[in-house]
Amino acid sequence: MFSRLWNWIKGLWRTIARPSIHYSLGFLCLSGFFMGIIFWGGFNTALELTNTEKFCTGCHEMRDNVFEELKSTIHYTNRSGVRATCPDCHVPHEWTPKIARKMQASKEVWGKIFGTINTREKFLEKRLELAQHEWARLEANDSLECRNCHSEEYMDFTRQSKRAAETHERFLVTGEKTCIDCHKGIAHQLPDLGQAGMMKPQPTEAQIVAYLDSLEELGAN
Amino acid sequence: MKRILLSVLGVAAVTVSISAASAQQYVATLRGEVDLAEETMPPPIPAQTNDDLRKARNYPEQPPLIPHKIEGYQIDKNANRCLTCHARSAVEDSQAPMISVTHFMNRDNQVLASVSPRRYFCTQCHVPQHEAKPLVENAFVDVDNVLEYLKENEGGSD
Amino acid sequence: MVATKAGRVVATHGDAEAEVNKGLNCIKGYFLSKIMYGADRLTQPLLRKKDGVFDKNGDFEPVSWDEAFDIMAEKWKATLKEKGPEAIGMFGSGQWTVWEGYAASKLMKAGFRSNNIDPNARHCMASAVVGFMRTFGIDEPMGCYDDFENADAFVLWGSNMAEMHPILWTRIADRKFSHPHVKVAVLSTFQHRSFDLADIPMVFAPQTDLILLNAISNYLIENDAVNMEFVEKHVNFKKGAQDIGYGLRPEHPLQQAAANPDSGASEPITFEEFAEFVKPYTLKMAAEASGVPEERIEELAKLYADPDTKVMSLWTMGVNQHTRGVWVNNMIYNLHLLTGKISTPGNSPFSLTGQPSACGTAREVGTFSHRLPADMVVNNPEHRAKAEKIWKLPEGTIPEKVGAHAVLQNRMLKDGKINCYWVQVNNNMQAAPNMMEEGLPGYRNPDNFIVVSDAYPTVTAQAADLILPAAMWVEKEGAYGNAERRTQFWHQMVHAPGESRSDLWQLMEFSKRFTVEEVWPQELIDKMPEVAGKTLFDVLYANGQVNAFGLEETSKEHANDESEHFGFYVQKGLFEEYASFGRGHAHDLAPFETYHEVRGLRWPVVDGKETRWRFNPEYDPYAKGEGWDFYGNKDGKANIFALPYEPPAESPDEEYPFWLSTGRVLEHWHSGSMTQRVPELYKAVPDALCYMHPDDAAEMGLRRGSAVKVISRRGFMETRVETRGRNKPPRGLVFVPWFDASQLINKVTLDATDPLSKQTDFKKCAVRIEAV
Repeated sequence: MFSRLWNWIKGLWRTIARPSIHYSLGFLCLSGFFMGIIFWGGFNTALELTNTEKFCTGCHEMRDNVFEELKSTIHYTNRSGVRATCPDCHVPHEWTPKIARKMQASKEVWGKIFGTINTREKFLEKRLELAQHEWARLEANDSLECRNCHSEEYMDFTRQSKRAAETHERFLVTGEKTCIDCHKGIAHQLPDLGQAGMMKPQPTEAQIVAYLDSLEELGAN
Repeated sequence: MKRILLSVLGVAAVTVSISAASAQQYVATLRGEVDLAEETMPPPIPAQTNDDLRKARNYPEQPPLIPHKIEGYQIDKNANRCLTCHARSAVEDSQAPMISVTHFMNRDNQVLASVSPRRYFCTQCHVPQHEAKPLVENAFVDVDNVLEYLKENEGGSD
Repeated sequence: MVATKAGRVVATHGDAEAEVNKGLNCIKGYFLSKIMYGADRLTQPLLRKKDGVFDKNGDFEPVSWDEAFDIMAEKWKATLKEKGPEAIGMFGSGQWTVWEGYAASKLMKAGFRSNNIDPNARHCMASAVVGFMRTFGIDEPMGCYDDFENADAFVLWGSNMAEMHPILWTRIADRKFSHPHVKVAVLSTFQHRSFDLADIPMVFAPQTDLILLNAISNYLIENDAVNMEFVEKHVNFKKGAQDIGYGLRPEHPLQQAAANPDSGASEPITFEEFAEFVKPYTLKMAAEASGVPEERIEELAKLYADPDTKVMSLWTMGVNQHTRGVWVNNMIYNLHLLTGKISTPGNSPFSLTGQPSACGTAREVGTFSHRLPADMVVNNPEHRAKAEKIWKLPEGTIPEKVGAHAVLQNRMLKDGKINCYWVQVNNNMQAAPNMMEEGLPGYRNPDNFIVVSDAYPTVTAQAADLILPAAMWVEKEGAYGNAERRTQFWHQMVHAPGESRSDLWQLMEFSKRFTVEEVWPQELIDKMPEVAGKTLFDVLYANGQVNAFGLEETSKEHANDESEHFGFYVQKGLFEEYASFGRGHAHDLAPFETYHEVRGLRWPVVDGKETRWRFNPEYDPYAKGEGWDFYGNKDGKANIFALPYEPPAESPDEEYPFWLSTGRVLEHWHSGSMTQRVPELYKAVPDALCYMHPDDAAEMGLRRGSAVKVISRRGFMETRVETRGRNKPPRGLVFVPWFDASQLINKVTLDATDPLSKQTDFKKCAVRIEAV
């Protein structure tokens, strides 16, 4: 079994390693070059094709959940009609990170095939994890995709509300925070952040005092 | 005693009503001069006021109005956008006013360690304003002005 | 709590001692102080005149109360003489105080001898009332607001509590966040603010709530979740009449096509027959019809099925404003009765009410066209006899025929069958359906004389011939009763401005204008000769009961303008006479004074104790035996009804492709006549908008802010598109609120009603949207 496969590979190598008999070197180089162009073009076209909102919302998981939510936000309709499509925020624009992100996306294809989030309930259950991935990515790249459009360098703070201008002055300009630190949930609904959770059964002040007293008593012993 | 006092301002302070001496075809102030069967071009959707200027309250118990826009703010069981700035722990960064201490009390007026869940949905009491001009004036007078009026006119108190 | 200084209300805040809200108010409550001070408050009667005399097409001119009552009495007398009492009508609301509603009902039913009196609670609670009467034989919820702190699951069957019951919503939020196991299910035909708290959100296709409810019944039966012991002891099964029409005019094709129009008949069936009836309603079938995923319906069904989950079902207009609203009420009770989850703390099918006193006044006092106090009805001779005895009136005073309900009143005005019409405490021109075809032509019919009492010049006042300025809220001593059967009193705090007078004063003063000879036939007077020559005021209010309490009993600290005017403690007299209807009949109210001392009590109040859970012997002194006693019905059992799905009166088609649902917003009370005059509330939500799905808008070339016409077969109105507001309709449905006086969506709505309750379905009709 193995020896047969080995023999076949050896035969193949011999064929490839042998100089061409029928075609000139020039022809071969040229055809290699053109083949390369066609291949590269195809690759890029495919890449661009998957880099559109139409592609993203082709899956109902995206269309019915996150895209539906986007529609009621400022990143969908706004004063000047400059809008963000899915890849604008979720796919890096530079080549290397883009390819890296695309390779990551193969995991999403896997999820699509196996229906990981094919119902609203499943999506909501996964939502926190999915959001955290995006937040982590944006935190790591200093909110690169935000900055593709919203460059702090070109912001005119006098055109912002007082509150926004002050906050940007304090945190953005100083680099203390990056966009995503404050602007989570502007294009899609936030997952369960436990804000309501922090309201779960709460002690009253009196109970806390009693508890602290009991600690003191323990300490005294 | 109180009965007499009740009538002091009763007539005086109430503003002039529309029913002045002249006859009028249209009375429904909120509609303006438009026949009931007619329609008019609806006013454009006004923008939310976003000037960050706090308004005086009509009386201390009135919930403060929201002086900024809150379009698209998420306040649901997952997240509360208001708390990200107005929570006790957030105001140092945000420099926003902290939610009042009454919001830390439960139904029995016991003070809790954090915001009472019954106060979670902020927009039930706190609303933003729009750049729209009220259709009708309101003649409400706050207690300070009433007291001043009393002092000037009676020198009395309640 | 209201603070006053020098005759002015200067502040309001929540009462920390009050059991219902515990110190909280909603945005409207916090601005209550300002509602009385709109600059256009009416302070004088206004009459349409030309050349100094009344003219239907004249302009409004200020007149004295005397002139106002003169012309009114003249019109009333002429109509009574010419056409009889059925040509007289009155429309009130759940904003009448208890005694105002009582005085009005008495004036109409016993004085003018016309049952054509109805409250706007007809638009609001009628389906709930008939639902209660059909299932339990007695009106109003068995549970109370304490259920909020005891339930494990809340199911909203057609109620946007986050906006419409904000204080009760805080109690649900409190319960849910403090107890992580608590689940909230929210059902609606569009997504709204209550969905913010939902674990189980369900946007269903209009009218398929009937299918969802039967599917859950079926699920309970198929999964052995029926509490057989409870069912055997406490429940009857009945099959209701089907194909009952849509409460439209009799000549409407849909009415002609109905097999059993307006039939509330039913026949007894067995449990097995009921099981067979709901069998076709599988989860799969329900999912297909409603558009809600099957798993989610099952999740909801499990809340009812699990014997350890205490369920509180809640509903208001989504259920009641429904051409099958009574059925939906019945079918919600089915779920609670199949599982025995009722009348114990936390297990509670709870019909919420909208107005301050829809229960206390409209329902309990009996201001409906078919009702008398304490759940009695006009077409029952024993009930009439009892009322006549208490009222000390001759036998046969109260007419037997059920009067005209809200929608029918507008139709009769248009047809010239009701000619004298008095509207108090509400804005029905703006509120009633199909304004262009029924309401407006009715009010402006030259044969009719329309009187509107209000504090402000509303849309309804604009349509009137005579406007009477009314006192409001703390400008009079009052009492309201809420949805948990709680009766609450307040004192007069300030005087009403100018010449405005309370509705009570207006009713009683107007009654002085009639002698019995002018309104009653001689044979009726002959039965009780001592009434001869007396006025209606003497017979109805100075009858030795209503005037039994002197001025010395009124509060020393508070004014009481009506009592001072009439010379006796009017409110106490009316209350005590009214209370004698219910005492000893499971509607017991406490003595008058008690209510001024406490923060309300929940009836029946027996031996000074209120009742929190009725039908449960542990809490309710009227319930006998073990477990449950549904004493509203003679056999002590509640009824489960087998009822099918039937389509709505009007559905979208090619010409009118959208569903239209109407409703309220948090920041405004119903028609906005008070809240639109508070600048802060006005600026919070200034105008009505047409909420629609952004894809629907885009498809028609519209966008947020586009001016559009909302057009139905009956009329159109103009408004603006909102694609990202607080309400998120699914594709194919639009929502327009009705608070805006200059954008009247009821020009568009259909006057189809539930055939049993006569309540309009404001949530479903077909419209087309066009760019202006």
